[in-house]
Amino acid sequence: MNVPSRKRLGPLLLIAPAAILLGVFLVLPYLNIVVMSFRMPGQGTPYGPGFTLGNYGKFFSDFFYVQQVINTLWIGFLTTFICLVLGYPVAWQLARGASTFRALGYALVLSPLLVGIVIRSYGWTILLGNNGIINRTLTGWGLIDGPLPLMYNALGIIIALVHVFLPFMILPIMSAIQGIDPSLEAAARSLGASKVTSFRRITLPLSLPGIQAGCILVFVLSLSAYVTPSLIGGLRVKTMAVTVVDALIDTFQWPFGSALALMLSVTGAIFVVIFGRLTVMKWKA
Amino acid sequence: MTEVSIEKLTKDYGQGPAVNSISIRIAEGEFISLLGPSGCGKTTTLKMIAGFEDATAGAIRFDGRDVVHVPVEKRDIGMVFQNYALFPHMTVEKNLAFGLEMRKIPKDEIRTRIAKVLDMVQLTGYSERYPRQLSGGQQQRVALARALVIEPKILLLDEPLANLDAKLREEMRVFIRDLQRRVGITTVYVTHDQAEAMTMSDRVVVMFGGRIAQIGTPSEIYERPANLEVAEFVGQVNIIRGKVGNRIVSTAFGDVPVSGDFADGAELMLALRPEALELLPIHSGATGAPAKVLSSYYSGSLVDYRLELAGGAVVNVQTFPRTRFADGDQVLVHAPAERFWPLGTVA
Repeated sequence: MNVPSRKRLGPLLLIAPAAILLGVFLVLPYLNIVVMSFRMPGQGTPYGPGFTLGNYGKFFSDFFYVQQVINTLWIGFLTTFICLVLGYPVAWQLARGASTFRALGYALVLSPLLVGIVIRSYGWTILLGNNGIINRTLTGWGLIDGPLPLMYNALGIIIALVHVFLPFMILPIMSAIQGIDPSLEAAARSLGASKVTSFRRITLPLSLPGIQAGCILVFVLSLSAYVTPSLIGGLRVKTMAVTVVDALIDTFQWPFGSALALMLSVTGAIFVVIFGRLTVMKWKA
Repeated sequence: MTEVSIEKLTKDYGQGPAVNSISIRIAEGEFISLLGPSGCGKTTTLKMIAGFEDATAGAIRFDGRDVVHVPVEKRDIGMVFQNYALFPHMTVEKNLAFGLEMRKIPKDEIRTRIAKVLDMVQLTGYSERYPRQLSGGQQQRVALARALVIEPKILLLDEPLANLDAKLREEMRVFIRDLQRRVGITTVYVTHDQAEAMTMSDRVVVMFGGRIAQIGTPSEIYERPANLEVAEFVGQVNIIRGKVGNRIVSTAFGDVPVSGDFADGAELMLALRPEALELLPIHSGATGAPAKVLSSYYSGSLVDYRLELAGGAVVNVQTFPRTRFADGDQVLVHAPAERFWPLGTVA
C-alpha cells in the first residue's frame, strides 16, 4: 500500500522545475515581503528590531494612500475596458477575417511588445507632451489655443498602457474565437437569427473565456505597471506601483513599502476573484 | 409542405463551376438525397438551397417563389449539420427554444412545442442537459429536433450520420426516415454513403463533377444506372463487355438481348450486379459459365466470391451462404439475361 508508486511520481517530476523556479523566485520573496510588512521602521537602516501593525495603520489612516489605491484601480479598470472595446473587433478580424491580412495584422498586434518598455514610454512623452507632436500639430492647425493636458495625468497613463497591453487582450480573445466552430453561427442563422443576433447570442458568449483571460491579464498588468506610469504620470499622478518604489528606494522605508505592495496585491486579487465569479461559465466545467 | 424547384443552378468560385447548371424538382414531402464523392458539388448545392452560398446563376424556388436573394435567416429552413452544431453554452431546452425565440413565439407555446418535439425524438427529460452531457446519438436527435421544432418549409441534412458508429448509424437512418414521414416535410439529404441514400430516399440525385449524373428512385439508380460512373459508385458491379449483333450481345454467360439503339459491331459494356449471379456445382447440368473460385469472404448473412472465368476475366458474386464453395473449387455461374443492363458503348 505505502510503496510509492511510480505513476504518482511522474506528474510531480514534470511540474518540479517550474514549481522550484516559482518557489524560489516568487513564493519565498513574497513571504519575505509579508514578514517585512510587519517589521518596525528603522533609523538609517532598512528596518528596525521587532514587529508592528503600524505600517498597515499608517496606510489606512492616511487617506492619501487609500486614494492612490482607488486611482490605480480606476486606471486598471479603464485600461482594461478600453483594451476590450478596441481589442475585440481586432481579435475577431484576426480569427475570422480574410487570410491575406492575417499575417500582417498579427505582426501589427504584436509590434508594441517588440519595443522596450522604456523606449516606448519615452515615445509617448514625445507624442503627448505639451510641446509634443500632437499638441504642436493641433496648435499649428489652429484647432486649439493652448496645449491639451495629455501628459502628467491619468489620461496619458491610460493611453500608453492601452497601447502596451492591447496584445494581451487581443491574443486570448482571438484564440477563443478561433476555437468556436463556425457552423454554430451558421446554425443560428438557419434558425432565423440575423448576423448581429447570431454574434450576440452565440459568438460573444462563447468567446467569454478569452474575454475573461484578456481582462484579467490586462487588469493585473495595469495595476503593477511601473515604467509607463512613472514616466508619463511624472510627479503629479502616481499609481501604487510608483509609490511603492518611492517608499522602498527613495525614502528607504522597506516595511511600509512592503505593506503598500501587499495592499495593492490584495485589492487586485479581490477584484480578479470577483470578476472570475461574475463571469463563471456553467456550460464549461 | 413545400415544393422545391432548382433550375439551372450554378456555382462558380472562379476555377470552373463547382455546381454546373443543375435542375431538380423536389415534390412536397419528398425525401431526396444528393449522393456523390467529395467535391462533386452536393454540399455546395445544399448550401445554396440553405442560403449560405450565393448562386452564380439559376433559381431556387420554394413553392414557386425564387429565394436566391433571400438571406438564410428569412428562408425558413431547418438544417442539421454534420457535427450537429449544438450551442455548447445552452441547455437542450435553450437550443430548441432558439429558433422559436427568433420567430417571436410566445413563451408558453415555446414550452409546449419543445415538449412535443422532445417526445418525438425520444429525449423527454433531457431538457436541462448541456450538449457535452449527451452521447453522439442523443446530440444528433437534439439537432434534428432543433431543426424541426421551428416547423420549417424544408429540412436540410448535411452528412448527419458521418460521425456516428456503424450500428447507431443504421438505427438513425430508420429513425430519421420515420420521423420525416410522420412530419411529412420536404427533405434534402446530402451524403457520400450510397447505402444511406438508398435506404432513406424517395429519390436519389447522383452527382459527379458538379453535374447530375442521374436522378431516380433507389432501385432505378441501382438496377438501371445511367452510366459506368453511377454503376460503380452505387454498390459493386461487374462490367461485362461484348459485341452487339442483331440486338444481342454474346457473353460468357450466354446471349443477352439488349434494347436500345446500338449499331451492329459496337462493343457494349453491360452492368451485372454481384447478387444477380447464381453459383451452382460444376456437375449440376445447369446452363452457366464454368469458373474457378479465387477467394471468398464470409460476412454472416452473405458470402462474396471472386471467380475467374474460363477466359481469365474476374467476376464478383454475392450469394447467401446456403451452399459454400471452397477456394479453388470449379463452379458454374448462371446469370439471368434480364439482369444485364447496358451502360453504353466502349469509348
